[in-house]
Amino acid sequence: MRLGRLGWVAVLGAAVLALWLLFGSGRVLGHDLGGLGMTVLLGATWLALHAVSSTPQGEFEQGVAPAEWKAWIGLGFMGVATAFFLVKLPLFAGESAPHAPLSSGVARELVLLLVAWVVLTQVVASRWTGRVQVDERDREIEAAAADWGRSGLVFCVIGLAVLFGFSPAERLQWATPWMVANLLVFALMWGWLVEYAATVAMYVRDRRQSQ
Amino acid sequence: MTGTPVGNDIRRLRFERGEMTQQALADACQVTRQTIIALEAGRYAPSLELAFRIARAFGVGVEDVFRWEGA
Repeated sequence: MRLGRLGWVAVLGAAVLALWLLFGSGRVLGHDLGGLGMTVLLGATWLALHAVSSTPQGEFEQGVAPAEWKAWIGLGFMGVATAFFLVKLPLFAGESAPHAPLSSGVARELVLLLVAWVVLTQVVASRWTGRVQVDERDREIEAAAADWGRSGLVFCVIGLAVLFGFSPAERLQWATPWMVANLLVFALMWGWLVEYAATVAMYVRDRRQSQ
Repeated sequence: MTGTPVGNDIRRLRFERGEMTQQALADACQVTRQTIIALEAGRYAPSLELAFRIARAFGVGVEDVFRWEGA
């Protein structure tokens, strides 16, 4: 299936609509619009994947390492997931496990996002079938980026520790155990986001200097 | 990754071997084409294993492909 310019504009429009629904906190007739946003996003991703998989590899695509493509996809999805989690974080303050319907909704949408990420990564990888996708240079870049990710995680955890350790108790009413647990998950996501951003930055710098 | 003191003649050797493409060399050495590009640009120093693979792909010794350019 080939998408024309109009088709790509429609897919892009659908993705923007999906993100608006996903990040908005609106409810219609008691239904959370986040689920609809996730469905539209998955549909737009599926359409884009089919269009991309039927397009022959161009010079630009061949000039970018498979591991760099994966890093870009990871950065995009982790960016959306982290922003989504951050926007929905206030919902966690009013709930506690195990009765947390709003938090469960957020978790379900994050899992759907993860599934879309895995599918997209697999489809992109299939375009390099029979070729080496990761080699020693990629592993060196991954190792260097992992250092950045670890630093991001450490700074985030230290920030949370300072926040909880030095704030007066009356200003920490919002910090329920459930909220703190989710903030720790956010710290993990932040670490991964920094790692993906560092990976992409290293590939882009290396590619530009090699040209 | 910054510049490396390990120089190489990969580009010359490719052209002496009937203009072997970067992709063909990458496939022969089990690396990505981007690694060959980085090597030719002097932006990456290969592991000993990869250096041997590249030399073997050209049918020459390691020192015929790589040389030390550091101080």
